[in-house]
Amino acid sequence: MRNNIPTAALSEFVNEVADAPEEGLMSYGLELDWESGTRSRAQTKPMLIGPHRVSRSFTWKADEPRQLMGNNHGPNPQELLLSGLGSCMMVAFVAGATAEAIQLESVKIDFDGTLDLRGFMGLGTNSTVGFPEINYTIHVTGDATAEQFEDLHRKSVAHSPNAQTIVNPVALTGEIICTQIEG
Amino acid sequence: MSKTPVMGDPNSVSPNSTRDGWINKLDRKRAEGPFFDGHRVRNQGFSTQAVHAGTHDDPRTGAVGTPIYQASTFILGEDQYGSVEGGFARDRFIYSRYGNPSQWAVQEKLATLEGAESAIVFSSGMAAITASVLALVDKGAHVVAASDLYGGTFNLFNQEFPSLGMSATLVDSYDLEAIEAAIQPNTQMLYFEVITNPVLKVVDIPALVEIAKRHQIRLVVDSTFAPPPVMRPLELGVDLVIHSASKYLNGHSDLIAGVAAGPRKLVDQIWPRLLNYGGSLDPHACFLLERGLKTLPIRMRAHEESATALAKYLETHPAVDRVLYPMLPSHPDHARAKQLMKMGTGNVTFFVKGGDMAALKLMNHLRLPKQATSLGGVESLISLPFNSSQATMTSRQRAAIGIDPGCVRLSVGIEDASDLIADFEQAFTAISTKEMTDA
Repeated sequence: MRNNIPTAALSEFVNEVADAPEEGLMSYGLELDWESGTRSRAQTKPMLIGPHRVSRSFTWKADEPRQLMGNNHGPNPQELLLSGLGSCMMVAFVAGATAEAIQLESVKIDFDGTLDLRGFMGLGTNSTVGFPEINYTIHVTGDATAEQFEDLHRKSVAHSPNAQTIVNPVALTGEIICTQIEG
Repeated sequence: MSKTPVMGDPNSVSPNSTRDGWINKLDRKRAEGPFFDGHRVRNQGFSTQAVHAGTHDDPRTGAVGTPIYQASTFILGEDQYGSVEGGFARDRFIYSRYGNPSQWAVQEKLATLEGAESAIVFSSGMAAITASVLALVDKGAHVVAASDLYGGTFNLFNQEFPSLGMSATLVDSYDLEAIEAAIQPNTQMLYFEVITNPVLKVVDIPALVEIAKRHQIRLVVDSTFAPPPVMRPLELGVDLVIHSASKYLNGHSDLIAGVAAGPRKLVDQIWPRLLNYGGSLDPHACFLLERGLKTLPIRMRAHEESATALAKYLETHPAVDRVLYPMLPSHPDHARAKQLMKMGTGNVTFFVKGGDMAALKLMNHLRLPKQATSLGGVESLISLPFNSSQATMTSRQRAAIGIDPGCVRLSVGIEDASDLIADFEQAFTAISTKEMTDA
């Protein structure tokens, strides 16, 4: 056990997937229900880890601050996006450190991002709708050199699914199923 | 260069560091075990496996047979510290709750007999069941299990599961449609007993394997009533097999133990639950279990021989209404028993004419079988569900799971069939004479 990750089990899993690629296929799902105003409730669906289904009993809420017509009952979608990005980068960083036998004492990732709501509002400007840029700083304490940590940083971002989803174009496909009610 | 011999599984070594690459460079692969080196018995006959697999002679004295390693803790060196750091402490000796050579010897024997990559022994069958089930389910999980489960397992699903925010649906183990209909999006496991107690239903394990695979969930079975000479559930596609080793596996009614056996991947997930819940098996009990297992195949043959003779005798006796023995054509699951069971066992259930009171009288007149719960011992054991295992149920509830009045649960030991038959004969005579005298 290093950094509370069993290196042997990590190694065994990597080698298992190398031999049986289907064991490395993860299927996730999430359901979102509109609750009221800008507030919605997210609930995880059962997940597939390789060929096996796993119960995922987690729910949370998202809302907008009052200034954005919400009630401030939860983190907002941009904060949740950064949270999903950062926690994925964290997993990659810690797993990579463990595999490299680096002992960590603390890791903090500090995120900042600014977006221009004129994109959302459709006000005719050249501003992007989403974040044009996301900035972060990793604060790390551990037994590696600055050079080793920088190398680990580069590799962990390169192998983080969420980081790579954000920096690369992703096909977003959807449909809508409608029920019209009597006015 | 001379190297200190590894105290543990020498095939298990630390993964390399990946400073020059990513985690795809990690080189440790999963392997069966943990086993000692040098005494694998895999491709030989069942009795040879029972005697030799896992068992090792004392390297210092040449004493034949695995020594009893009655130690709580082990001297630590660089290799042991490295195993903790590298996350493979299960493959070294550190502390007996984590692992002990006496446990390893019997675990290797059990893994070999079950055709499993890995096995863990526990301080009871229930310790094996709770650690295994809770290792394979997650927050909010649901389990589909048999409605006539062993009481202890029923209590896990009925009493403990709701406290843990988990749930179970209990279904008739014959009703494949109902089993499938009970599967929910959060279902993670099917949990069944391969032969049920006390009516000895032979469950359609291949059909359950197919349902579990189709729904991408795990199938865990309790095979206490069908030890390896009778059935090897892992060969049928089951994910994990559990036993109360207090029964046939040990066979001498002198210890309480349990075992879980299966792929190394799953058993390694159970091991941390052994550590956290603490149901480790004492080295002396391991020695007894290892010794008992050496005679498992010949004991099973003796159980089968005496039970078959006694079941046939009971079937022809006028005071007996019905006999349930899977290897007799009269058993409702006889065809499936012939397909799934390589041999019979010592369990015979029968129904005495005249109901529970007549059964009680018969039992009180028997001299050889001991009135006691449990099964699978060398001595015959007899009990009545109505006043023991199913005493908390009403007669109507008992009838719903096939326990009609007069039901007798008999575990035939390895005594001579002629002596058992003679004993039953005198007991039947005594109760019929007594009835005539009473009248």
